[in-house]
Amino acid sequence: MNTQIDSSYRPDALVVGGGIAGLQSALDLADQGLKVLVVERGASIGGHMIALSKVFPTLDCASCITTPKMSAAAHHENIQILTNAEVEAIESRDGLHRVRILRKPTYVNFDKCIGCRLCEYACDTEYRDRFEEGLGAVRAIAVPFTNAIPQKAVLDAEHCLTCGSCARVCPTDAIEFDQKPRTLAIETEAVIVASGFDLNSVTVKPQYNAARSQNVIAPMTLERLLAPHGPYGRVLRPSDGKIPGAIAFVQCAGSRDESIGVPYCSRVCCMYAIKQAMLLAGALPLADITIYYMDIRAFGKGYEQFFQNAKAMGINFVRGKVARIDPIEGGDLRLHVETTEDAENPLEERTHDLVVLAQGMIPGWNPAQTTPVACASDGFVATPRLTAPTATTAPGIFTAGTAAGPKDIVDTIAEAGAAAIAASQYLFQKRETAVAG
Amino acid sequence: MSMENQHREDPHCENEQAETAQIEAQLAAARRAAMAPHASAQGAGEDAHLKIGVYICRCGGNISDVVNVEQVAETVQLLPNVTTAKVHTFVCSDPGQQTISEDILQENLDRVVVASCSPFLHEQTFRGAVARGGLNPYLYEHVNIREQASWAHRHDPSGATAKAIRMIAAAVGKLRHAAPLEQIKLPNHRRALVIGGGIAGMKAAADLAARGIPVLLVEKTEKLGGRLNDRGRVYPSERDASELVEELARTVQANPRIEIRLSSQVKAVSGFIGNFKVEVAPEGGAAEQRTVGAILLATGFRPYQPREGEFLYRGGSSASAGPAVLTLPEFIQLLRATPENARHLLVNGRAVRNVAFLHCVGSRQLDGVHEPQPDGRLNTYCSRTCCTTILQQALAVRRRFPKTGVYNFYQDIRTYGRGEENYYTEASKAGVVFFRYNGEEPPAVALSAPESARDGAISITVKDTLTWNEELTLPVDLLVLGTGMIPGAIADLIEQMKLATGEDGFLQEVHPKLRPVEVAVNGVLLAGAAQGPMNIQETLAAAGAAAVKVAAMFAKENVELNPFVAEVDPELCCGEAHCVTQCAYEGALRMVAKEVDGKQVERAEVNAGLCTGCGACVAVCPHRAMQLNGWRLDQFDAMVDGIAAGVPNQACGEELVRIG
Repeated sequence: MNTQIDSSYRPDALVVGGGIAGLQSALDLADQGLKVLVVERGASIGGHMIALSKVFPTLDCASCITTPKMSAAAHHENIQILTNAEVEAIESRDGLHRVRILRKPTYVNFDKCIGCRLCEYACDTEYRDRFEEGLGAVRAIAVPFTNAIPQKAVLDAEHCLTCGSCARVCPTDAIEFDQKPRTLAIETEAVIVASGFDLNSVTVKPQYNAARSQNVIAPMTLERLLAPHGPYGRVLRPSDGKIPGAIAFVQCAGSRDESIGVPYCSRVCCMYAIKQAMLLAGALPLADITIYYMDIRAFGKGYEQFFQNAKAMGINFVRGKVARIDPIEGGDLRLHVETTEDAENPLEERTHDLVVLAQGMIPGWNPAQTTPVACASDGFVATPRLTAPTATTAPGIFTAGTAAGPKDIVDTIAEAGAAAIAASQYLFQKRETAVAG
Repeated sequence: MSMENQHREDPHCENEQAETAQIEAQLAAARRAAMAPHASAQGAGEDAHLKIGVYICRCGGNISDVVNVEQVAETVQLLPNVTTAKVHTFVCSDPGQQTISEDILQENLDRVVVASCSPFLHEQTFRGAVARGGLNPYLYEHVNIREQASWAHRHDPSGATAKAIRMIAAAVGKLRHAAPLEQIKLPNHRRALVIGGGIAGMKAAADLAARGIPVLLVEKTEKLGGRLNDRGRVYPSERDASELVEELARTVQANPRIEIRLSSQVKAVSGFIGNFKVEVAPEGGAAEQRTVGAILLATGFRPYQPREGEFLYRGGSSASAGPAVLTLPEFIQLLRATPENARHLLVNGRAVRNVAFLHCVGSRQLDGVHEPQPDGRLNTYCSRTCCTTILQQALAVRRRFPKTGVYNFYQDIRTYGRGEENYYTEASKAGVVFFRYNGEEPPAVALSAPESARDGAISITVKDTLTWNEELTLPVDLLVLGTGMIPGAIADLIEQMKLATGEDGFLQEVHPKLRPVEVAVNGVLLAGAAQGPMNIQETLAAAGAAAVKVAAMFAKENVELNPFVAEVDPELCCGEAHCVTQCAYEGALRMVAKEVDGKQVERAEVNAGLCTGCGACVAVCPHRAMQLNGWRLDQFDAMVDGIAAGVPNQACGEELVRIG
């Protein structure tokens, strides 16, 4: 890792995004001896995956799979990583990509910061920790999370009161209140867009009333609740800290729904709901767990067997669309469900004390405005070539993972490798032609 | 980041508190064990000045919710030579690794132990951290206190804690006798063998060749393209599969770095990563011998072939005589062979008025519901591509023959991929009728009674869960079985290359996320549906993922192998060749003529590239002349001492029984 990068630095390839796709692509390029720059907009690499509790279908802890890849990238002699940085524009001419990168102020000089966290301990201002999905608090200056890379403090200007406590305790004088956004321009020959996904809001369907009840939660919130090192170290519902006893998963709450502009399947929700249901069944043996679904899409290797195991564990699978969720007294929720399996009660009302909405995956970045990369009608990066699934519309620019549509981790990692070989053969051929010509 | 020392309160710890007295007793015994002077303490290789650092991982809470890691640290600190014992939430994280590297430099550690998860996950990670600290990476021991302590004994926290201490004591003992080792460097033959000329094999070959790597591409049929030949239009592009096959075939044929062997098979494989010797023989011809550095398995899948009589199936070609039941690939051929201007879809010379598609035939099989395959296995997996293929075909029927009714019998519609959901919505709009069955009660298929035959030759009875389990019987003229994928017929390769298959019969990767295209045999990679059902895009991506691993492997001049191989002590070897007799790996051990004190004698010699370090030779040598590097016999002695030196004897109460 190196933070001292200037425009004289000329990597062979640039990877947009430091999530699992970007890291795998970077590693697969770097292992071939190519120099790679990874640009990550967040304060740490690791993407969504590092925040997960466990992953399907092996139930490996997510940290155990992600941290070695993060660490391998951070220590690789051919990889440089810029966090808190965003690709603003790419201009491609004569086989060269000129990339403008915005380096956002962290108000901490990374070359001086030793990650001792004294500033964090000295800071008096706390706000909701986004890494913990708002369930815990984080100081206005802090190392992002336990296994973050880099282990450097970042100051949140929105919440900082500029009291100066941090600067007073910092042993290396690393706090710089006067940092300004900087722009870095570099040139590179190949780019991999691994900008990942976002999730549409839990409030996207107003009839589910997530805005009115804290107990209608996002799946990432449940991931944090289930993580062994999560905010509470146990599963408690947000409104009152009660141990939930009847949990509902509402599938396709942000996908396969033309009314909200996401007609496609988000591809991972069935499996993570099953996984979360299994983990909940382990953590709360007495809880009643129901998954309301349209189709269970357990298509990957070992996924169907995982689904059958969940059924055998006693997780209830109810085929039916949830029409409405009403908050009722005591923080509980009444679900209005249309089921197709019970002729006597096709329209049912069921009460749960915690509801998880399967949000839809939407693009994490729109490169179409500022780069030569075009997006398809679904908003994700277009990959029009039949025999090259990672090639974008722009020569020398490739894509991997959820930047090109919803995908699970297994498929993302495979695609990241495919993008890396595509980029490296592009570079190889360019250079071979240059030598020959 | 500094090491944390506070023990987080956790609900799981309540049991622990109740058992405090018992834990204390056990820990006391373990502590005594740790402090007991070991029989091997005077052994060779012992150095009183060695400094050993022990790092104990909480693994979030995966370990520390059960094992009292602080007590473990406190206890192992008392072991001889242990100068540092620290606890960390995730030792594998960057700050965790950083601590190890820094401690090596600042505290002059000579050896390192990490007690965490399975070495399968992180042994390499920590060897790297040790190397970054400037220490030989083999002066490192990995102790698995997660799978083997906290997970295995989650209802016995005190037992798990005591076990973790003993395991670490064993590792510390082993390390006292450790010597620095170097990786074995062997020449890397920069050529890849790709087995299978379908789209996965062609894509992998094209990717490698375009990256400058020579490829030998072997296809057993007379033609490239595999299962995509004669497939017709593919989803979601709706372009003809032949476009895709031809583009890839042109690419591989035009690249001088690719040698193609059609109608050929790989007859023999021996050797090891970087140095495989393979024999490739054309049908009826003489085998050629080649050396390759890597082997990519792009052997694909077979379509599921229903049993005789399964849903009235009588085999595609004989359908003219019996009921019109076709598999999905047979139906695709039928539809392709039907002229564009045909007014009806014809089967057995009769117009098809209605057709039924039955999903999940040969896939998602359940114990007690489905009959096992001839090999006794149930195809419990989802074949991933059949749903979208069926809907693509159903939609094509409705569009070409609007008067033909299309019924779809399914469990879950799995149109998960990009552009696939569209087929489902379009099929619904086009009037495809859906019936949903419960996996435990698949639809029953029967020949219609003669009087109702005019409605259709076949009747399907289903308990439809879309209409509150109503039992419906539908007559149809044609039944299409939505057959999925089964593993390719590669038993000979599996046997020759000692490959592992999963419960589903497909080739098994080492780890779906950490090493998704690698198998347990180094230098052998999986490309495409040989690993499990995949669609075209996924297959092409998987082929690329395999190719990139080969490209990285060939970026190095040498292949680097772990040094855990057998070594012969020429002083002790008497040339009795017990080891050679026992060795299971051809060429790994042989007797060579040597001159000792003017006499011609035979002595054992190890081929480090072929030796797998299994240790069979060590066990049979009566003279202790064979040793396994990294696992020498004195290290085993020390480990046994570490574990057992202080086992509390039931009969003697607190008395300690010393072993060794």
